[in-house]
Amino acid sequence: MYVNFRYQAESPKSDVARRLSVLLDMATLLRGLRAAGALRGLGGVLAAPTATNPQFCRLRRGFYCAALRLQDESKSDKASSSSSSSSSTSYHEHYQAHSAQQDTAGQHHSDPAAEGTSSSADGQSEYQDEEYESEEQLQARILTAALEFVPLHGWSMEAIAAGAESLGLSSASTGMFINGSGELVLHFIADCNTKLTEILAEQHNQVQLGQAEKKKTSEFLRDAVETRLRMYIPYIETWPQAMSILLLPHNIPDSLKHLSNLVDDIWYYAGDRSTDMNWYTKRAVLTGIYNTTELVMVQDSSPDFQDTWAFLDNRIQDVVNMATTAKQVQSTGEAVVQGLMGAAVTLKNLAGLNQRR
Amino acid sequence: MVHRILRVDHAGEFGANRIYAGQMAVLGRSKIGPLIQQMWDQEKKHLAKFNEILSENRVRPTALLPFWNIAGFVLGASTALLGKEGAMACTVAVEESISEHYNSQIRVLMEKDPERYTELLQVIKEFRDDEMEHHDTGLEHDAESVPGFWLLKNVIQLGCKAAISISERV
Repeated sequence: MYVNFRYQAESPKSDVARRLSVLLDMATLLRGLRAAGALRGLGGVLAAPTATNPQFCRLRRGFYCAALRLQDESKSDKASSSSSSSSSTSYHEHYQAHSAQQDTAGQHHSDPAAEGTSSSADGQSEYQDEEYESEEQLQARILTAALEFVPLHGWSMEAIAAGAESLGLSSASTGMFINGSGELVLHFIADCNTKLTEILAEQHNQVQLGQAEKKKTSEFLRDAVETRLRMYIPYIETWPQAMSILLLPHNIPDSLKHLSNLVDDIWYYAGDRSTDMNWYTKRAVLTGIYNTTELVMVQDSSPDFQDTWAFLDNRIQDVVNMATTAKQVQSTGEAVVQGLMGAAVTLKNLAGLNQRR
Repeated sequence: MVHRILRVDHAGEFGANRIYAGQMAVLGRSKIGPLIQQMWDQEKKHLAKFNEILSENRVRPTALLPFWNIAGFVLGASTALLGKEGAMACTVAVEESISEHYNSQIRVLMEKDPERYTELLQVIKEFRDDEMEHHDTGLEHDAESVPGFWLLKNVIQLGCKAAISISERV
């Protein structure tokens, strides 16, 4: 993107031509800014990879490849916007520092020209190859490996460093993670959500095929929440630390997003297809149940967390009772209104007001 | 992006339903009652279709539904209090807004990926044709003879535009 400003002090051209040239300059400038903004945006996207959805990863690999190509073009131009290229070059610096240890990653990034020539469609199939691992995949691998060391080091950079070392990478690769402990916890949570979705989808299939009985809603919710919370058991000692990490301001948007996706998934597989305010109330109720049960779980010392599951049972029972009570109140109200109307008509008849003379 | 489109369409049909309900509450027993009832029934079908589409695509409905519930009813009832012409004027204004909005959605979807969204485009086109029919019916039944037609129409359409932009996001 070469932004070109032409200022002509005294122009022999006509007024119209001058205005046209200014407009063209502005258009070029806008195009340049938009592309620069897109690059910056891409850089920002790549800075905090938390999604583990494979389709999303493929899209990001495509973006990353595109970003590298664009960044390459912009580097070769003189007047490229420095801020956008700096955000992408920081990744290059990280990889170049570890190029000795990460040969494959080094190859990948020190040779962007080769990528640049391949179209993004071809690039995606190339990325299936082991040699061309994208940054998100690498980060995901390191974070997954780091989970093993969490009971020892807690949710911290040390765990990530230990994880990187266990994969044969240098512990300096923690430099890739700006928000290390946050990314580790969020990665774990996204992983748990994916596993839960798979389990629920499998159960759903079994019911469709007739191989299993359809559960009652309260039972379904109870089982789903229990399954999901049981995934925390290996890390329960350090879970309070993880919860406090999730409450840090810069992690809150992501953790809320994961929580809302989780609750939406559970309700979807429980059979909720509402399209009115019930959509909101159901999810709010389940979020409350899930969060309180999680809190009970971290301070539960009973065998196999029996107290937690009993608490969960009681909360779900509360909700069921509330729903039943609400229905009863409504039908009672309707019956009372009908009774009053009947009494009013009777009175009118008695007073002779209903006669037609 | 599709989620926003579906969310606002659902909100729109819901609002239209409530507007006709308000009009029927006032003018239900007058001569124009059967006509309003007929238009209302078509809107009910539209709403049912969008309910189906929303739940299939796991789209979040707009959180302002209770507000559109009341606002729509109040709009329908208050314009109906201006008489049959007022009700028709309200119909004309709202249906024109909605048709314009559907048209821009059709344009957006066609630009994006017509093959992927064929079914949705089909639905939106069909509904847009229905709404235009309602608009024309309104004009036929002396919508323009209400005093202050120009003012009423523009105020209602401004409200519709605001409602559309809010419902896309909230």
